[in-house]
Amino acid sequence: MVPAPNAQKSPACVLVVEDEILVRVLIADELRVEGFSVVEAATADEALSYFQAGVQVDLVISDIEIPGALNGLDLIRRLRAEAPSLLTVLTSGNPPGVHEAHAFLRKPYEVRRAVVLVAALLQKETG
Amino acid sequence: MNEPCVLLVDAEELVRTPLAQYLRECGYRVLEAINAKEAQALLSEGSQTIDIALADIQTLGGSGFAFAAWVRRNKPGVRVLSAGTIAAAARQAGDLCDEEPPIQKPYDHQLVFDRIRRLLAERERNRN
Repeated sequence: MVPAPNAQKSPACVLVVEDEILVRVLIADELRVEGFSVVEAATADEALSYFQAGVQVDLVISDIEIPGALNGLDLIRRLRAEAPSLLTVLTSGNPPGVHEAHAFLRKPYEVRRAVVLVAALLQKETG
Repeated sequence: MNEPCVLLVDAEELVRTPLAQYLRECGYRVLEAINAKEAQALLSEGSQTIDIALADIQTLGGSGFAFAAWVRRNKPGVRVLSAGTIAAAARQAGDLCDEEPPIQKPYDHQLVFDRIRRLLAERERNRN
């Protein structure tokens, strides 16, 4: 059991950006089981579109290799410019070198490990 | 997990996400796909038991009807529902919440439709 979102507040919202549907479903499902609100996006454009609608997002977990004009590194940079307090996690099969995310998960990763990391980052942020 | 499972196929995240949240609040398990290819991958993979496919035929373009035909041919046990507009998709979701889920209907589907319209309008404002 990972630390649950604070029951007094609305659940933290996690935006999962992953173009591989079977991976996205697994991580999104597991995060929902832990009580997080989860938004799914397959591309950086979808993720940005969701942000532009003004919806509160607390943490973004994004693959680096995603289709479209922006990759995960670009997406994180762009989102943090708009929302500096946003928590960010990058994933990839290859080490990313220099990046601006709070954490990096090397693929293939265990879904539980990703959920524990997300919960720990959010827990740290909210105290 | 014994909740009936809905596979929601919609290319527009600001429509798909609120609809998916609504159906989850009604007690359905919801899988989200952005296009027919993703939906077919989920249906074919087989680890997920899917009872209903709710697809936006319009945003799937020409592949929408082909997708419905593919499901009927390859997954005859899956009930296919199609919608051509956001309002129709919200109504379909509302009908699903009326008929089968384990939890009582939390709010009217018109509220989901209104929320989707607000999200789309807000995005347009922020883009301009």
